[in-house]
Amino acid sequence: MSNIIELKNVCKSFGETEVLHNIDLSIQEGEVVVVIGPSGSGKSTLIRCINCLELISSGELIVDTVRIPEERGRTRQIRLEVGMVFQQFNLFPHMTALENVAFGPCKARKMNKSKATDIARNLLSKVGLAEFENKLPGQLSGGQQQRVAIARALAVSPKVLLFDEPTSALDPEMIGEVLDVMKNIAKDHGMTMVVVTHEMGFAAQVGDRLIFMDDGRIVEEGKPSEVMKNPQSERLKDFLGHVKHH
Amino acid sequence: MGFEFSVITESLPALLAGAKLTWIITILGIVGGMICGILAGLGRIAGTDALGEEPHGIFKPITVAIRYLSGTYVETIRGTPIIVQAMFLYFAFPMLVKAVTDIERFRIEALTAAVITIIFNAGAYIAEIVRGSVISVNKGLLEAGMSLGISRFQLIVHVIGPIAFRRMIPPLGNQFIISLKDTSLFIVIGVGELTRQGQEIMASNFRALEIWLTVAIMYLIMTTVLAMSLRQIERKMKIF
Ligand SMILES: Nc1ncnc2c1ncn2[C@@H]1O[C@H](COP(=O)(O)OP(=O)(O)O)[C@@H](O)[C@H]1O
Ligand SMILES: [Mg+2]
Repeated sequence: MSNIIELKNVCKSFGETEVLHNIDLSIQEGEVVVVIGPSGSGKSTLIRCINCLELISSGELIVDTVRIPEERGRTRQIRLEVGMVFQQFNLFPHMTALENVAFGPCKARKMNKSKATDIARNLLSKVGLAEFENKLPGQLSGGQQQRVAIARALAVSPKVLLFDEPTSALDPEMIGEVLDVMKNIAKDHGMTMVVVTHEMGFAAQVGDRLIFMDDGRIVEEGKPSEVMKNPQSERLKDFLGHVKHH
Repeated sequence: MGFEFSVITESLPALLAGAKLTWIITILGIVGGMICGILAGLGRIAGTDALGEEPHGIFKPITVAIRYLSGTYVETIRGTPIIVQAMFLYFAFPMLVKAVTDIERFRIEALTAAVITIIFNAGAYIAEIVRGSVISVNKGLLEAGMSLGISRFQLIVHVIGPIAFRRMIPPLGNQFIISLKDTSLFIVIGVGELTRQGQEIMASNFRALEIWLTVAIMYLIMTTVLAMSLRQIERKMKIF
């Protein structure tokens, strides 16, 4: 299996403060990587660097053969192959669920409208929202919005999906429906996924690898069940203790 | 001298001609001002993350220059009275042209000067309305669009534009009405708009009450039409 994402000695600073320190990380095609860590440890920054929403300050990033920083002009190529799902959903509020999902294939993949709409309908029914296609985001629950957002990200057929705490803004009773959709994507599509989440059950069940970040560094990584059972560092033991009590 | 209704009927043709001119200057000013305002408003945030990501290479100095130019335009117009702007364009600008070129008989028609003034004046204020609305659009929407691989231009047209436009309507209504009323200031460069017509009739018959009452009502009708058209547009747009 080949690496689809590679970070070599990547640092990221905002102004004077460095928030990612010398990150080395390779992710294989089809792998599901779960990232955990305390708030402010750099999880969001790490995955935002992968689809170039943040530009790395030093080091090298290779995504599906595109090299950053050398090929900075090709960030759009990277983004076509790397979709993202956000904590706050970020659906386009003036478009219906169907329009939200069809927008990407239409504008990014230059598909004609009827084909894009077919794809969108298909994906909406896959995430269980076929009968909501004409609703505006404001008329949907948080869980439904996030499922639309996942369908939207899938619609441009990316090779990688990044999730930044996709269930953190949801009421508890809606978390399950979103996690189920994510599990299906991992299983059916064999999609490469990088998931920032505190859902340890999801990590154990779906994750191929668990990464624990603290203070801008990867502190521990390994098979999820093993890392959870046998945390090496005090910080991870501490962190797991906090997460479990939620 | 009581209230003479006949004074109004007699002066009505001249006043209506003035109102028509006021309306024409206003509409040209609003249309031109929108174009100017959208360009300058976007210009002021060119290359910032409000419109996507910061540019690199050659685009960086270009966007800095665009921001600087747009900013200078807006601040210059906002910082000077519209009467001074009209006077400058009508009286001073031809002299400036004469001084720096050999063109002897350059002059600007009063009406042209009025239209240009209102366009640039409204444009500066509309630029701030545009900038404010665009900045207020949740940045996450741009990020979501960019992560789909959609170009910044497409996102500005299909996402930022429509959302920002809806937020612009109330302040735009304000500005359109202000611009309409500002046309009365072009009395100083001799444009025969409504206020000027009223002033001239008044000077000949001294019927201040009838004339200014009629003039006021005509302005009120025109501003009401503007306000109601904007309300219509607002109603037609999807609520979100
Ligand atoms: N745009 C930014 N500007 C300045 N500092 C930032 C920015 N984004 C994140 N940071 C800082 O970087 C650190 C890591 O943030 P983040 O990646 O969001 O952490 P996490 O997602 O793990 O909570 C934090 O200290 C945060 O304050
Ligand atoms: Mg975060």
